[in-house]
Amino acid sequence: MRALATAKLEKPERRLSLILLLAPAVVWLGLLIIAPHIQLFALSLQEKIGPRLYETGLRNYVEFFGESIYWMTLIRTTALSILATALTLLIAFPVAYYIAKMLRGRTKSLLFVLALLPFWVSELIRTLGWIIILRETGLISSALLSLGIITEPIELLGNDAAIIIGLVYTSMLFMVVPLVTVLDSLDDRLVEAGYDLGGNGFTVLREIIIPHAMPGIVAGCIVVFMLTLGNILTPALLGGKNSLWFTDQIFQKFIVRFNWEQGSAFGFLLLLTSSLIVWAGLKLTRQSLATTMR
Amino acid sequence: MANVPDLDVSNVIKRFGEVPAVDRVSFTVPTGSFFSILGPSGCGKTTLMRMIAGFIEPNSGDIRIKGEPTLGIPPNRRPTNMVFQHLALFPMMTVADNIGYGLRRRRVSKADITRRVEAVLDRVGLAGAGPKKVDQLSGGQKQRVAIARCLVLDPALLLLDEPLGALDLKLREQMKVELKQLQAKLGTTFLYITHDQSEALVMSDQVAVMNAGRFEQVGTPQELYYDPQTPFVAGFVGNTNSWTGQVARHAGQQVEVATEDGPVLKAHAVDPVTAGDKVSLFVRPEAIALRRETPPDGAENLVHGSVQNLLFDGGNSMAIVQDTATGHMVTVALPQTGEFAHLSQGEQVSLSWQAGQARCFAAEAPNASRTP
Repeated sequence: MRALATAKLEKPERRLSLILLLAPAVVWLGLLIIAPHIQLFALSLQEKIGPRLYETGLRNYVEFFGESIYWMTLIRTTALSILATALTLLIAFPVAYYIAKMLRGRTKSLLFVLALLPFWVSELIRTLGWIIILRETGLISSALLSLGIITEPIELLGNDAAIIIGLVYTSMLFMVVPLVTVLDSLDDRLVEAGYDLGGNGFTVLREIIIPHAMPGIVAGCIVVFMLTLGNILTPALLGGKNSLWFTDQIFQKFIVRFNWEQGSAFGFLLLLTSSLIVWAGLKLTRQSLATTMR
Repeated sequence: MANVPDLDVSNVIKRFGEVPAVDRVSFTVPTGSFFSILGPSGCGKTTLMRMIAGFIEPNSGDIRIKGEPTLGIPPNRRPTNMVFQHLALFPMMTVADNIGYGLRRRRVSKADITRRVEAVLDRVGLAGAGPKKVDQLSGGQKQRVAIARCLVLDPALLLLDEPLGALDLKLREQMKVELKQLQAKLGTTFLYITHDQSEALVMSDQVAVMNAGRFEQVGTPQELYYDPQTPFVAGFVGNTNSWTGQVARHAGQQVEVATEDGPVLKAHAVDPVTAGDKVSLFVRPEAIALRRETPPDGAENLVHGSVQNLLFDGGNSMAIVQDTATGHMVTVALPQTGEFAHLSQGEQVSLSWQAGQARCFAAEAPNASRTP
């Protein structure tokens, strides 16, 4: 009906309605995303040569590659983010399959809501929860102590494993939701046909379920990877001083050192890295952004 | 081993909760035949087929394929393959990959797979379609790919679950003929389930009519049509007129029935009946002679009436005639000899039929669970 109504409108009116419809999105994108990025980019090209004295140049970027701590941190952050994304996928896939394919009706929606429930609490509180579990006087440590497995309390915070645990936990929802959606749309008969024609559980998974779920897998991975790479709270709280997360470097430049020019350059490098990885991921899985975001 | 049937189902029961979906069903399908199970939706035919394919296990009974017991064997290790209701072709694969899927599972060499896929595509008349995507195919082509995907595995038994249901009428008519010819050419045993009596009658060597979890009758299409053994079969296979009444007189299988509407009709009793029994009586529209004048003497059953409605459908045209005496509506096939081309509403006609064409069954108890 709506299409019919639009078709009947005269040409100038149609253009006006298109402009009006697009206006909020354009304003949103322009004011909150494009404009700040242009400004940041301009800022990143400013070299400070004296108090309130600037010169245009690439020094901020050159400095990044010159100082190994910077690019090592970026590589480390990227690698850990990829690992966290992969682990999230590995854990979320069976969960999503169980919710989408094994359950029906009320139990299905109940379990789906249960997967969602932790996200009603702020990320800060959720991360603090992990601190309670992992710290020296925390649940795991004292449980192991009372069982006599260890003789002295152990500190489980402040290492990469703690960061990964926190990141995976935080990202779970963003993987489960697209996976449940895509698996829901998988016709059960395809799976049955896969078995009927001689396949076993593994080959049906590899040849039928995963190819079907690929858009959801890629969508989930992109979202989780971006969120993980850009996360600052979880690595800082669970990794402590050792976290060496790239977002923390940016934070340091902006807030602690008040070096906005360098911080902007780092921000752009992070954006470039995440775009590059996502592009590579899409190429590798032969998916396109259009099919993935459908 | 020549006499071992391809499929031997004995006394199979499957309950979902309290209700038996399949209730003590037994039948055998001889090698190389086209066997159909015909029944209304919800009669248990899909459940039965899924048990043969191995997706569900019966509560009791035995299913043997080529003499081998199958209970407890999962679907991927049974010598049966299934053409699903909506075909279930893998949309992420090409036609060749779809057909090669089963061969890859059997670890057939790549060259061999290519050769066999091409051979089977050729057999179903789709030579060269291998590299196409599934969604590039028409409905009929998808159908053939689904069958080829099973045939390439050389199954002992090919199960077809209403595969023509999604096609439009014209294509369905065409596929019916194609399927029958394909089966005759290949010699593979087909087990076909459908709710469409025309599909079952046209294609099958043997048809089982199923209702409420049980087989009502198993026989050739001709037997089911001309000699139905239960009221359900009489009503479900082909069109029919029905009356209910009481047996007035009987001599062997020849009975006279006083119908509730009034006239006394002569019929052939299928069930043993005695005078006073409640019975139902079935006469096919095609078995009734339509005349504009009263027939010469000798008509065993005669009804006078006026044409109420004409259902013109080319060669399958019918007239609905209202009995002047009782008001009972009788459907009659219009002979396509030209004589009745201009029959009009309200015309007076006479209807007559042989007693042997009318089938009489003992009426079921009012609470019988047989009614569909």
